[in-house]
Amino acid sequence: MRPLLMLLKSKVSTLFRRYWVLFLFPILVAGISIDGIQKWVIQYGSDIPKVWTDEAIKDWELPNFNPEFSAKPVSAAFYYNLPERVIYKTYTVYHPDHEPEGYWDWLHSIDAEIELDESKLLTEEDFVKAGELLFDYPIDSLGAIISKENVRDVGFYEYSEMPLSKDGIMPFARWIVTGKGKVYLGNLSCGMCHTKVMPDGSLLKGAQGSFPGDKAFAYGLQKAPENDVKAVSGFLFSSPWAEGDPHGELLSKKKQDILDAYAAVPTGAFGRQGTSILFPPQIPDLIGVKDRKYLDHGGLGQHRNIEDLMRYIAMNQSLDFLNMYGSFNPLGLNDEVINSGKPIMFPGTYDRHSDKQLYALAKYVYSIKAPENPNKPSQLTEKGKVIFAEQGCVTCHTPPYYTNNKLTPADGFEIPEEHYDKYDIFDISVGTDPGYTTKTRRGTGYYKVPSLRGLWYRGPFFHDASLAKLEDVLDPKRLESEYVPTAFIGAGIKNRAVSGHEFGLELDPEDKKALIAFLKTL
Amino acid sequence: MKVKILLLLVFLFPFQIFCQSKNTIDPIRFQIKNAGINVDGTISDWEYEISFDPKNLIDSKIKATANPQSIETGIKLRDKHLQGRQYFNVEKFPEIRISSKRFTSKGKGRFVGIFELQVKDVKKEITIPFAMIKSGKNQRFSAEFTINRLDYGIGESSLVLGDEVKILINFEK
Repeated sequence: MRPLLMLLKSKVSTLFRRYWVLFLFPILVAGISIDGIQKWVIQYGSDIPKVWTDEAIKDWELPNFNPEFSAKPVSAAFYYNLPERVIYKTYTVYHPDHEPEGYWDWLHSIDAEIELDESKLLTEEDFVKAGELLFDYPIDSLGAIISKENVRDVGFYEYSEMPLSKDGIMPFARWIVTGKGKVYLGNLSCGMCHTKVMPDGSLLKGAQGSFPGDKAFAYGLQKAPENDVKAVSGFLFSSPWAEGDPHGELLSKKKQDILDAYAAVPTGAFGRQGTSILFPPQIPDLIGVKDRKYLDHGGLGQHRNIEDLMRYIAMNQSLDFLNMYGSFNPLGLNDEVINSGKPIMFPGTYDRHSDKQLYALAKYVYSIKAPENPNKPSQLTEKGKVIFAEQGCVTCHTPPYYTNNKLTPADGFEIPEEHYDKYDIFDISVGTDPGYTTKTRRGTGYYKVPSLRGLWYRGPFFHDASLAKLEDVLDPKRLESEYVPTAFIGAGIKNRAVSGHEFGLELDPEDKKALIAFLKTL
Repeated sequence: MKVKILLLLVFLFPFQIFCQSKNTIDPIRFQIKNAGINVDGTISDWEYEISFDPKNLIDSKIKATANPQSIETGIKLRDKHLQGRQYFNVEKFPEIRISSKRFTSKGKGRFVGIFELQVKDVKKEITIPFAMIKSGKNQRFSAEFTINRLDYGIGESSLVLGDEVKILINFEK
């Protein structure tokens, strides 16, 4: 009976794929909405993409700036041998002064509860809702960035300048309860970096986040031995093949110098694994990411469809620690150890999201909408719109996405001939600092042209978060070596030029005002 | 009366400065719409060989080359990009070439020329109406015509950048 049912299901599925228009017609006649059809299709007509195939993984990412050190990810066999994550119910983390009385004891008294039942995901709405849950779900309970002790320590909040929501909630981590008395601090959710506490204390999910991750990490590392600080910093950032090996040089310094480098990364930027605290990437705004063709500031991951976003999530939730870069692995492993069949007990490397979970997550990310923009069009913004066109901004920041979705080479990178056919290239450097894309594991030699949508709730600006405000972007003084960058400066540096993207610097003050007013409407 | 003339001159002088746009003295100008706004540009480095006799159109010849490396649009980085491989690719194609094939008269100093225009590695025959006014020993040529940049592989189709480029020629020999 079962094979017969499967055969029938397969036939119906084939018929549907071939003649879906005919299927739609009676539904439309019956007055069912397109939204309803979409839900129906999710339920009955579509398959969840298989995210990790050796073929797909092979050329999904762009090569490294030094191509011989391009990432070689784990195989599909390894990937699908990892156990799927069980999604437990998680709980709010409060600032110690705001924690409800008895909350801590209550957390220790409750049993584990599994919150996500994938078999119940049928409609588009189901997937989006589950995706939001997964967006906030911490994949680590080992204390990857911040620990249980940190978040129960008032000094941690003061040191890291941790923003809180209006109810005194620290929204970047969650308590995970895996059994009675087993309460862990959960790290490394998507929301950890991509949640912004707005000025009124509300939360904006998907935005350039306001988690002061590197400062928070530095706080925890203060008590760690120097060798441990060096080891973990090496896991995160080592790229020994990079010219001058700047991360190797950092690791040769004293513990305090390394902690200072972490603490120098401003809120709105984060040195996640494979990037840098010397060239820290601005946290990307995920709102509108569906319309962007490359992911990461260096455009490392191609984004051609939802599968690519799923891959990006899977890879970036720490699986890239298992990548081989030539013969180098960030954790000091080799192919033999990685493929030994034994779990690698490092945050994010011993289990994985199921494809269905990743699909839900991606669906949720695609669904995130910006809140209503308080900056309405006016005479001033209309003037700014004309200046935007006159200054040629539209060439790269092309409406409607306000990006042309292309990759621009950084200074010092020569575009390989074959890239012109493979990728979307805008073959001129705008001269911004090349460090991130030429000296990190994620560096490709390119920077993607960023979208200007949502500038009103974003900042700091530039790929390395050097400039706090849009006014600073248009300030010609930033090109001078005496300039004091208004956001990321760098540890031990008092002043430096913020070079590149020298557009609009010569506009008169009124035109700058109009241009900025327009940009804030996007 | 003198005061009036003086006042008139004082009034006209800034007006004349305002009207004397840079464009009138640039022999090769172009215009293209970008986000609904006309972007003006020039190509300042060019050479020509002209032997044009309105009474002997059969033996008349106009031949010119222009160096796309001398493109200016008012934004240096844009100029550099236009010189790159996705636009003029000046390293590989350092010259834009145009050469006449035949002319016909349209009366009163007006002519139509059939030219071969080569941009990058694309050659196309184009028709250019132009005027030639003789002033003493000199001849002043002026023409205005439009090409589709995509026909010559200049950039790619764009939501904001127009395909059509208006070219305005004005020089004296």
